[in-house]
Amino acid sequence: MDIFSILTPLSIVLVFTGVFMGIIFGAIPGMTATMAIALFLPLTYALDMVEAIALLIGLYVGGISGGLVPAMLLNIPGTPSSLCTTFDGYPMTQKGQGEKALKIGITASIIGGFFSLTILYFFAPILASIAIEFSSVEKFLVILFALTVIASISKGSLLGGVFSGVLGVYLSLIGMFPDNNTLRLVPPVLEEQLYYGFALLPVLIGLFAIAQIMQEAEEGMKPAAHQNINLSKNKKNKFSLRIFNGQIINTIRSSVIGTFIGMLPGVGGSAASITAYSQTKNFSKNPEKLGTGEPEGIISSESANNGLIGGALIPLLSLGIPGDSTTAVLIGAFLLQGIQVGPLFITTNPELWSGIVSTLIIANILMFLLMFFSIRYMAKIVYIPKYTIYPIIIVMCVVGSYAINNGVMFDVWTLLLFGALGYVFMKIGIQLAPFLIGFILGKQAEKYFIDSLKGSDGSLTVFFTNGPITIILWLMIIGSIAFAIYDNYRTKKTAQEETITKVS
Amino acid sequence: MKKLFSVLMVVMISAVLAACGSQSSGDGSSDQSAKANGAASEAKIPDRIRVVIGSSSTGGDTYQNSDAVSRYLEESLGTNMKVDAIGAVQAFSELDRADDDGNTIMFFHDMAYLGVEYGSINEKNALENWKIGPVVSTNPGNAFLASGDAPYDTMAESAEWLKNNPDETITVAIEAGGVSEISFDGYFLWVKEKYGEEVADRIKVYPTGSQEDKNQALWDGNADIINGSIGGNNEYTKEGVESKIKMKFLGITAGKRVEGYDIPTFAEQGIEVNGKEFVFDKEFFFLLPKDIDPNFAKALDEAVAQVVENEDYTSDLAKNAYIPSYISADEAEDYLLEKRATFQNIIKNAPTVDELTE
Repeated sequence: MDIFSILTPLSIVLVFTGVFMGIIFGAIPGMTATMAIALFLPLTYALDMVEAIALLIGLYVGGISGGLVPAMLLNIPGTPSSLCTTFDGYPMTQKGQGEKALKIGITASIIGGFFSLTILYFFAPILASIAIEFSSVEKFLVILFALTVIASISKGSLLGGVFSGVLGVYLSLIGMFPDNNTLRLVPPVLEEQLYYGFALLPVLIGLFAIAQIMQEAEEGMKPAAHQNINLSKNKKNKFSLRIFNGQIINTIRSSVIGTFIGMLPGVGGSAASITAYSQTKNFSKNPEKLGTGEPEGIISSESANNGLIGGALIPLLSLGIPGDSTTAVLIGAFLLQGIQVGPLFITTNPELWSGIVSTLIIANILMFLLMFFSIRYMAKIVYIPKYTIYPIIIVMCVVGSYAINNGVMFDVWTLLLFGALGYVFMKIGIQLAPFLIGFILGKQAEKYFIDSLKGSDGSLTVFFTNGPITIILWLMIIGSIAFAIYDNYRTKKTAQEETITKVS
Repeated sequence: MKKLFSVLMVVMISAVLAACGSQSSGDGSSDQSAKANGAASEAKIPDRIRVVIGSSSTGGDTYQNSDAVSRYLEESLGTNMKVDAIGAVQAFSELDRADDDGNTIMFFHDMAYLGVEYGSINEKNALENWKIGPVVSTNPGNAFLASGDAPYDTMAESAEWLKNNPDETITVAIEAGGVSEISFDGYFLWVKEKYGEEVADRIKVYPTGSQEDKNQALWDGNADIINGSIGGNNEYTKEGVESKIKMKFLGITAGKRVEGYDIPTFAEQGIEVNGKEFVFDKEFFFLLPKDIDPNFAKALDEAVAQVVENEDYTSDLAKNAYIPSYISADEAEDYLLEKRATFQNIIKNAPTVDELTE
């Protein structure tokens, strides 16, 4: 194939190194693909452009994919976009199906990766012009749509879930309001530390890792149920491609959502897997089972977050606009080499374009091979006694938090603060996942809401009158909420009926 | 099994340490190249220098200019340098805590003092509280753009158009509190002086963040003119770009035209404030802790003087249309304080973003 002709043996070695290091970064709680790329960026100066891109794309693909390992095995999302992977991945691990869950996740990842790559290769310019049709109004509605997942993942009390989500949005607004540089919700003594608000990563891993460790410490670090069972010979726990039978629509839908949300500049990666998960739940035959260890949930989250990669590259390469924070760092690599990324990039740099596409193909394949065949060993992490693994996790979380903004000590305090808060939240019934989703999406929701109002001179009707896309988005939002309420009602009714049956 | 666990842990921990190590120490190798040149001979140069920058982006002009000069300074000073994009607030706070031996220094541009004037940077970070290092380079590309089919081709024409079309308004997308706002203030005050308040009142502001946000504001029709840069926006002005996203430059604020680009300066267009041509060159410079070891400051200054003479460095900067513009540390202090005074006056007379969005 022509597109591979540009690759040199060195660039293949670099993709491999990138994927390998990326997986490690993704797998360490607190370290992300963005960080991996930022860290390796200065090294690329010594390389030529195709080699530099090979390394960075390897890191990107590896970094996004590695996040599923701690998400599934330890219930700690290694990156924000693997948050939804914990919902079903960890319950599977608890049932003794860790290895199977990981293999499902990796297979879904490569499918999502290749799907979005195909879209990138064939449709990039057309899709990019659709992406810029999405003004702040549509972007706000897309984020609102993603937020509706809060309703469908609320456990027990729907109102409690919504309250947790709103609390998350509220805390995300702490810090500087950029339009007029006004600080809000910040106590005077913390003005400097909270200037940009709480950083996402320390909040994420604080709520999940630290709070969880504290809770388990309270119970006395008894070995968890899954550590006592060895079901490796049980056929039910073996991975087989047959799991994907009946999941074809789910896989395609989630890959489409991932690619599409990745394509929208400024909407961000986490929204992709969140939206895909909520739609999988809405369309599922057994929505009540999602969240209890269903392959369906893993497939949606992982195919969406790898679908995001090709999606985020669409506006980057065909318009020069980064689709997410990681691609924003990639622009730096192009500029260091003196290459301007813009609307004419693909036509003026055909060689580089082929290089990027072929590197993406190789990176996805390498990611799959590297992870698929090392998973047997990774899955054994769950057998490490908790008194050994937890201190290691805490160290990694602290290091990750310190490093996320290139060495800011306040991020470590944020980690510990939200660890303690998460512990309290669990006690008083505030739900962590809805809270976090509110926190992740809150700032963007506000930004696009305000941007829309600025553009319409303050008129709220703009959210309904901005063209046919807004109407479609509203229908999707209403449908999603209605379904969640119905589902909640049905689950409660079933639970009541079960109780009545038991009593009688 | 136990053995496997130990191996796994070693791999994980070494990965963490490797990552952590390179965060703080650059690409690691500690063997120093000979500290042969004169600049470094008297001073004790730290083995590792962390250059914190006032931007949190690794794709912006601050990162590119700091990265370029650091790569050449490493050789001259015989040390390792690592640029950390931690953003203005954190960078000032790191500089405040830094030792006096030069192991942490800051690299930033005019935003360092403009931010203080506009209130987006705390007053305790005013220029007086630091030792001002040498000015290193300039990004002359600070520009304004409009949609390709806009009824005006320059900033001056846009004001004339506004005067001739009393029912129209012009909305300009800028980022509050820095370079973008000062350039807008220059334009606004000139329109007010030349055409009167009636015309100036019809200039609105659309405050927004990144360059992508400003571009999108133009494409959405929320802004008619956006602040941008040659480096960041030139691709959209080229022949062959779809008309929907096509842009054109209306002017740059630099004192001189940029070679290779046919874009008139504000001064050429007759844009004046208080009877003086409005010129704004975005300059990059070092800031050091107030009590910095004078030998280190001198060594850094001399090393920068050497680097700007290096043709490779110049051609590296030229890739993104930046130019070396050395002003020695001694002169830089007076130079920047004077520059600040000029703009203080403009900021005092210009309306705030809040007033312009009312």
